[in-house]
Amino acid sequence: MICDDDQGILEMVEMIMEEYGYDVYTEANSMQLLKTMGREKPDLLLLDIWMPVLSGDQVLKNLRADSEFNAIPVIMYSASTEGAAIAKKSGADDYLSKPFDIDILIEKIRKLI
Amino acid sequence: MPLNLNHIIPESLILVKVLEAANTGIVITDNLLPDNPIIYCNPAFEQISGYTRAEIIGHNCRFLQDQDRNQQARFTIKEALLSGESCVVEIRNYNKQGNLFYNELYISPVKDNAGKITHFIGIQNDVSARKKAEQALEMNYKEVEQKVEERTYMLKQSEEYLSSIVETIRESLLVMDKNYHILSANSHFLHTFKVSLNETKGKLLYDLGNGQWNIPELKTMMEEILPSNNPVLNYEVEHEFPHIGRKLMLLNAHRVELEGQFKDRILLAIEDITERKAIEQRKDDFLSIASHELKTPLTTVIGYMQMIKRMMPENASEKFKTTVNKTSTYVDRLNQLLSELLDVARIQTGNIELHNEPFDFDKMVADAVEGLQTASPGYQITIQGNTGVIFNGDESHLIQVLTNLISNAIKYSPEATQVEIHISMVSNFIKVSVKDYGMGIKEDELKKIFQRFYRVGEIQKSYPGMGIGLYICDQIIKNHGGTLWAESKPGSGSVFSFTLPLDRIVNQVKSYGDNQQQ
Repeated sequence: MICDDDQGILEMVEMIMEEYGYDVYTEANSMQLLKTMGREKPDLLLLDIWMPVLSGDQVLKNLRADSEFNAIPVIMYSASTEGAAIAKKSGADDYLSKPFDIDILIEKIRKLI
Repeated sequence: MPLNLNHIIPESLILVKVLEAANTGIVITDNLLPDNPIIYCNPAFEQISGYTRAEIIGHNCRFLQDQDRNQQARFTIKEALLSGESCVVEIRNYNKQGNLFYNELYISPVKDNAGKITHFIGIQNDVSARKKAEQALEMNYKEVEQKVEERTYMLKQSEEYLSSIVETIRESLLVMDKNYHILSANSHFLHTFKVSLNETKGKLLYDLGNGQWNIPELKTMMEEILPSNNPVLNYEVEHEFPHIGRKLMLLNAHRVELEGQFKDRILLAIEDITERKAIEQRKDDFLSIASHELKTPLTTVIGYMQMIKRMMPENASEKFKTTVNKTSTYVDRLNQLLSELLDVARIQTGNIELHNEPFDFDKMVADAVEGLQTASPGYQITIQGNTGVIFNGDESHLIQVLTNLISNAIKYSPEATQVEIHISMVSNFIKVSVKDYGMGIKEDELKKIFQRFYRVGEIQKSYPGMGIGLYICDQIIKNHGGTLWAESKPGSGSVFSFTLPLDRIVNQVKSYGDNQQQ
């Protein structure tokens, strides 16, 4: 599962992940994420930090408070310099800074699932 | 002696002998004869005047003044002669050779029984030497007086000059005595805080303007910090002021320590940096939003670029492969420049903030190497040694330093295949070295590579960049209390090393203004 408000990133990551044999669900609206996750039941979440209305760290907080999702591994990513610190604080399992390298992305995913 | 004075003082010829022996010039004139001629002079007078007795007798005394007729002493004498009084004058006389001598002249009239003046006695002393000394003294005195006047004038001028500077300066200045009573305030202060000089002068700092300066932080600075840390510079105080609203003030305070009339006076300079801070903040916000917005589409482009390379058919034409590779190189470069742009912005506003947290140092090094190893398959990056330390520092910044040093090592050794990293504990310091077998750096350029925007001459052409990577690394290591340095031999490679102290005392002093000194 990937959540990002930017359609370009969603499509790009979706294509790459499918290329590596994963099933990918995308969600551009962070407000809808929990609903979509409830429906699709993903094994892992790729989560952008800087999103409008509900930012990545808020999403993660809600997720960790929900018994249905709190065990799902989360990789956060951001272009912001504070991204790594925010991800750590919010309790993300891993972090990537934008722009990211495909190999590193895949490797981080493989470590978690 | 041929002169017969017996008719004047018949009793004693001995008195004549006294006159002859005296070393004071003595003349007697006969007032009953026309033009009051000299009828007697003693040898001392001959000596003083340089004339012989024969040249003197029968003349009026005025011949001694030669052409120097209009002197005040002559009028004094004239008056005394007319009124029959005695007088003492200092008169300029000229000897036979025409040389000036100062004559201290005592004139005394001799009267007969009827009170009529019959003779005048003139007693004369050559006081030239004394006069000369007096004149010299007077001259000195005048010189001194003139110098004092000049100095006073200069002092006044420089005072005016200084006060014009103080008045013109666009910064508020207060001068206080040691008990914080205002001695003076410049016009910028009065203008900024909308107060008059009368409301200010003589008042206690904390009572000014209904206590608008009664600020706890200011009190702490003045009474606790200043006495032991003179001067206090760049002390930030944020406060709600009655007339002008919430302001961020930058204070500089200085106490005069020099012995003298100004000892213990306190100077307080107040700069309103509210506006400046707001502009800096807006600039930072703009840059961080802009770079974030630019990085998002770039992430997409880089992702697709990597996919294109992966999906490239084996039998694709060389031309096609080159095109793809070049596109990829320039996209990476764009990304690099964008990151540097953001770093420049942060550095220029002095905003390298450390987020210190304990982390596994060896793992951090391994992670940084792993990332670069994946991206540079042509190089073998090895790690030797370990620290076994949980380090308290800003992990993401230190990764940035290490990544920068390793990428430089790769970038500047196009012919080599090996980059070596050594990590170890040296006393209570972590030491990290990054060694390459590349082109190396000339000695004279080695000193400059840590400067902002400096790029080694030949490098400029073939390796674009803004030249701030090492500058940022240096700043980050310094912020951790460590040092970064380089050793190199042109042609055989370079070693970049840094140390980090384990027991660093975390310095939480506000860093505002630090960037201005860089």
